Amino acid sequence: MGDSARMSSKARWAVPAGAAVAVVGLFAGPPLLASAGSSGLPAITPQELVAAVASHQSQALSGTVAYTARLGLPSLPLGSASDSADPTNLLSGTTTMRVWTDGQERSRVSLIGQTSEYSVVADGPQAWTYSSAKNAVVHFTLDAAAAKRFQAEHGKTTSTPSVAPSMPTPGQLADQSLAQVQKFSTVTVEGQSKVAGRDAYELVVTPQGGGTLVSRVVVAVDSQTKTPLSVQVWSTTNTKDPALEVGFTSVRFAMPSSAVLTFSPPKGASVQQKVVGLPAGHPMAPSAPSATGGLPHGATVHGTGWATVVERSVVPEHGRLQGHAPTTVPAPSGAASSGPGMLGQLGGSDGSTPGMGGDQAALLNELTTKVPQGRLLSSALISVLITNDGHVLAGAVPAATLQALA
Amino acid sequence: MSLADETPSGTLTPQPTAGSERQSPGSRPDASLRPLEPSAGGPDERVPGAFGRLLRSELRLVLGRRRNVILLSGLAAVPLLLALVLFLTRSSQSAGEGPGFVGRVTENGLFLVVAAIFVCLPFLLPLTIAIASGDAIAGEASAGTLRYLLVVPVPRTRLLVVKALAALAFAGSAVLAIAIVGLVAGAGFFGLHDVVLLSGDTVSLGAGALRIAGVVVYVALSMTGLVAVGLFFSTLTEVPVAAMAATVITAIVSGVLDALPALHAIHPWLLTHHWLDFAELLRIQPDWRTLASGLGVQAAWIVIFSTLAWARFTSADVSS
Repeated sequence: MGDSARMSSKARWAVPAGAAVAVVGLFAGPPLLASAGSSGLPAITPQELVAAVASHQSQALSGTVAYTARLGLPSLPLGSASDSADPTNLLSGTTTMRVWTDGQERSRVSLIGQTSEYSVVADGPQAWTYSSAKNAVVHFTLDAAAAKRFQAEHGKTTSTPSVAPSMPTPGQLADQSLAQVQKFSTVTVEGQSKVAGRDAYELVVTPQGGGTLVSRVVVAVDSQTKTPLSVQVWSTTNTKDPALEVGFTSVRFAMPSSAVLTFSPPKGASVQQKVVGLPAGHPMAPSAPSATGGLPHGATVHGTGWATVVERSVVPEHGRLQGHAPTTVPAPSGAASSGPGMLGQLGGSDGSTPGMGGDQAALLNELTTKVPQGRLLSSALISVLITNDGHVLAGAVPAATLQALA
Repeated sequence: MSLADETPSGTLTPQPTAGSERQSPGSRPDASLRPLEPSAGGPDERVPGAFGRLLRSELRLVLGRRRNVILLSGLAAVPLLLALVLFLTRSSQSAGEGPGFVGRVTENGLFLVVAAIFVCLPFLLPLTIAIASGDAIAGEASAGTLRYLLVVPVPRTRLLVVKALAALAFAGSAVLAIAIVGLVAGAGFFGLHDVVLLSGDTVSLGAGALRIAGVVVYVALSMTGLVAVGLFFSTLTEVPVAAMAATVITAIVSGVLDALPALHAIHPWLLTHHWLDFAELLRIQPDWRTLASGLGVQAAWIVIFSTLAWARFTSADVSS
């Protein structure tokens, strides 16, 4: 062309160089700007913030959540999350989730695989899980007694019982972390940050008394809605990266469309029916009983606070030690429960198991190592010991503590 | 990209007849390629519509070329083969299983489109596209027709744009060939039904077909970055095979890097990283930002490599 003929050869090469710089600037720019200081939020005391989070009206929202676990577990032969969406992916690596909730009793959480999806849909007194890779549906319904209680409590409390297997969303994790905050921890507001483009307070919960693997929990709380936007759980064994990190990468506070919150099994899928009860006197998800209430039958507790160890005999009830061992281990305290919570779901305790097949035992063998007392699972946040005589000890404590107790 | 392989002409005549050199009967009858006086100025003003004619003739060349037609037929055979295998084994034990979307085809023929694209995406599709785009400039150079094309005179920038558009059209046809044959074969073998999304929800056939059309468009657009890379390599060499191989290798290396967890930080920038994001369109609420970022990365590769190709092509000595 006329102009190109006049352009020197060197000048021509400046064009792609300039284009490259522009492209890099365009892509790298926004995050830099976004993470730049977000000041100007009114000051708030830790107590006010904890209270606000505890009493916040559950918000209707939809968003994308990034979940990263660095628990230091042996890598699984199943490979990384890329192949198919499955709850086992939550044990290590990064998983993307989509979350929709009406803020009350209807919600959908989807684990996103590259060409697959694992969905958990809770719709009042019933819940569904769907695995696209297996084209399999599990339908959870309440047993008669629990259904009656659900009817009674329906509409009266904000925390209606949930039948759905719980997924580690920021809200769920934060609730667990803050549950026993006052007694055993120091709480500070460390400053402000931006999560998913929203101003947030950073609430830091530091366990007191030692003896636990949790060094601190950082919760980013949305300044306007007081909704937890991200949770980081730091281990004492790794000071560089949080052992567990769950946070929204984008969030929208609006009522999701009704189509997302309902589910009906697709034609051709295999459907499995499961009837579940609710833990006595406690309107909580059956898969995440806390240390204060809903302790399973036959459990004993050693220690207090963050260093709690829960011991439980499993053999008489199930006789399938390997498959069920860590499953009914209740959350010892606060944040650490996410680890065992997920492990618990893998094992398949009280019917709330998202689709693990018969290879649970193999998976468990993969994760544990043999010690004189039995089989030991040790990770950055949680240790589980399955003793030879059929007891399970679990807690957010170093493995040596469990071995000493056994 | 000349017809030199079809009209073997070892004796290239000098400049004044250069236009007719590329011209085999019926394939490039353009007036625009009539020799004009070689004032390197702007033929734009003198021959209105020259660009359109050049593009039309180039498209005819690329899409009508025997090798390219065979490549397209090969791609189109994939859904046929897939449908046949799945149809014959549909009552066996492994029915309903398979990677990606292959397991869903027997339930709904519409998924044959997605399954065939999924099967072709890692290798066959990039290979085909690399062959066409890597050949664009280097093919002319190796056949000895490039210099004559340039002294016609066709401005180099315009020639490059025409070559790029033709290569893009070929990439689009490649994806479309898979999709159309997949749709027809899927409908014929398994019938078309309401679509079960990855989320387990069912949408009507119309809405499902629209989503799958979206998948086809997204995959076609995902190939544009590779076309730009191929075009750049094509300007570097006079050996078409080298350009094709370099382009294929780029796609494969990108896929390998994408599989290494240690390189997590650069994954979002890789050429192939977002290719499978077409699955987003089959979720209950597609995340448009995921799709946009996939296309954004393709746009970045296009900008960088097409400017590189331009800088190279307009400053290089063309000796053959």
